[in-house]
Amino acid sequence: MAPAAIIMLIALFYPLVYMVYGSFRDWDPSQRLSETDFVGLANYVKLLSDEAFIESLTVTLTFAFVVVFFEMLIGVGLALLLDRNLRGMSLLRTLFILPMMIAPVVVGLMWRFMYHQTDGIFNRWLTDLGLDRVDWLGQHALTSVIIADIWQWTPFIFILSLAALQSLPRSALEAARIDGATGWQQIIHIKLPLMAPVLIVTMLLRLIDAFKVLEVILVMTEGGPGLSTEILALRIARTAQEFRELGEAAAMSNYLLLLLMVLTLAMFGFTRWQEARAQKLKMLQREEEG
Amino acid sequence: MFKKAVTGALVGAGLLLTAATATANPYEEYAGTTLVVNFPAHPHYNAVMKVLPEFTKQTGIEVEVDMLPYLKMRERQTLELAQEEGAYDLIAYVVFSKADYVYADQLENLARFFMNPKLANPAYDAGDLIDGYVQNIGVAGGQKGYLPGPTGSLYGIPSGSETSVLIYRKDIFEKHGIDVPQNYDQLLDVACKIPELEPGMGGMASRAASGHQASHAFLLHLAPLGGRVFDDAWNPIINSEAGVAAANALKTIVDCGPEGSSSFGPSEAANAFATGKAAMFMDSIAFAPGFEDPSKSSVAGNVGYALHPEGVRRGSQTGGFGIAIPKNGANKEAAFLLMQWLTSKEGDKMVAMAGGNPSRFSTYADPEVQAKFPFAEAFGEALKYADPDWRPIIPPWGKINADIGTTMSKVLTEGLDPQEALDGVAERTRELMEAEGYYTWQ
Repeated sequence: MAPAAIIMLIALFYPLVYMVYGSFRDWDPSQRLSETDFVGLANYVKLLSDEAFIESLTVTLTFAFVVVFFEMLIGVGLALLLDRNLRGMSLLRTLFILPMMIAPVVVGLMWRFMYHQTDGIFNRWLTDLGLDRVDWLGQHALTSVIIADIWQWTPFIFILSLAALQSLPRSALEAARIDGATGWQQIIHIKLPLMAPVLIVTMLLRLIDAFKVLEVILVMTEGGPGLSTEILALRIARTAQEFRELGEAAAMSNYLLLLLMVLTLAMFGFTRWQEARAQKLKMLQREEEG
Repeated sequence: MFKKAVTGALVGAGLLLTAATATANPYEEYAGTTLVVNFPAHPHYNAVMKVLPEFTKQTGIEVEVDMLPYLKMRERQTLELAQEEGAYDLIAYVVFSKADYVYADQLENLARFFMNPKLANPAYDAGDLIDGYVQNIGVAGGQKGYLPGPTGSLYGIPSGSETSVLIYRKDIFEKHGIDVPQNYDQLLDVACKIPELEPGMGGMASRAASGHQASHAFLLHLAPLGGRVFDDAWNPIINSEAGVAAANALKTIVDCGPEGSSSFGPSEAANAFATGKAAMFMDSIAFAPGFEDPSKSSVAGNVGYALHPEGVRRGSQTGGFGIAIPKNGANKEAAFLLMQWLTSKEGDKMVAMAGGNPSRFSTYADPEVQAKFPFAEAFGEALKYADPDWRPIIPPWGKINADIGTTMSKVLTEGLDPQEALDGVAERTRELMEAEGYYTWQ
């Protein structure tokens, strides 16, 4: 117990404490941390009135919720459709998860080329069809990066949902079938509720990841045009490297950390509440029966 | 007595001998030393790499090169320079890093090396080094802190420095009887005329992507149009009439440029020119060798080079790299010898012949260099107008640069009004400068 706890403390909390400590200081990367000045909450306060930070936070929230929404929708939908014994299913499954196995930088480059104004495949198609070209990475940059992220990460949700579906108790589904439930009814009343715990954890993992996405966007747009795709992770990286404000970057990371913690707690709270409700229902049922 | 005289004579002869070998080979003492240097992955430093074996052959000093992408270099160097003992004996730095490193007292002042008769080569001819570069990249501590002046001193020597020129398609200009633009009115006029004359071709390819690129593109026009980011008392004057004119110029260029211009980085812009999608390209001279290489460019042989057009004054970009000796390096004297050798007349020409950017006027005037590179003569002329105050090189510049860049990107893509945009930049810059203590004496 003790050695494990010590390792945990050092490995997990030391960097965290270091970051929190750093966020209270005016810290230039040319200085060692011990040479920096203590500024209290100044970094945090400054960020709250920093328009660029607020914009970046809005972009991050929009990006994260939109991508996770669509990824859940498509991923779970696909899983429900493909939850059957098709021939060549294992090959199909492998193909499906390919996107998330590609290095993010490569994904970014690939999409950047596909979105290219004149030479990209999308605009070439549009021209061939006689339509106007779309300024993907200019006027519609955020949408474009959202599409790329959905392409890359839907498979993650798909594969986990499929696993969840295939481990559902067959008895419940069979009982529903015997009672004459339609396909939709089975999905809405049996499959989805039973999958919920897995789906919630999956969604949480994706949300956390979406809040921290960096490479794909960095390669595709570098945050532009303007600040329209400057997600928080990119803002943090730029604050540390370009603006050389390590203290501010640390404070920003802590805001992000707080946000993620709130989300995590909310999710856990939700599952708790759901379990409690299920328990209650069961009790009620038993009382009725009894 | 006799014995003493003999010993004296012998000692004298010995001294003479050492003196003789010393003049013959000032590098002897350092032969066998291995220098660790940090260079960026950049065409100029690829050329430097090609001539380094010659340095080792002449001096016996080995050189080990740690090559990094140039935007990554600063991060690595910041870490290394803050150590008690650094890994690097010599570093190449991007011009805007000068402020950070000098301010943090991490670079050697070069005076003590140039004063050392054993190290300094009397034939070095510092007057031949391109003045704008030396002032911009090497000197700090003079006017406004980052410029030369009576209180300034030398911390680095330019190697791989750049200025801006107007690069254009000779064939297209001839075909339509267009004169090479000499001033900004003509430039903007031609930029928007080209798409009409040559359907599918943009006027000028320019960088414009959000952040550093858009800021760079804006500054490119700011100096010649008579603007500055700050006045002499650090008041932001970027929102002056000249600033708005520069923003409008950039917007015109991007609007009349090849399709997708607003998200171009330098390589996309250069690529658009090299593939014939634009008739002009105004950027660093470092791109020129690529345009002349038929394997990379479909316009090779049809490319003309002219001075950066004049606005109310001439003021072309100063940028690129310099080399400096970190204070925490282990072999400073040997590092100085390498620095001196690389930027000497002989070394500079060798680097130029291998495809690098010269740091000396004499190299640009050299017939051999001119014969090999058709643009050398035009560049030599352009360098006379390189403006050392092209952008302020102060520690808070990173933030201001980013702000200009994102705001300019909004002007280009979201239709934000240039005056309003620049007023915003000026206001935020003032706050930043206040916080950084630039108004302490006002």
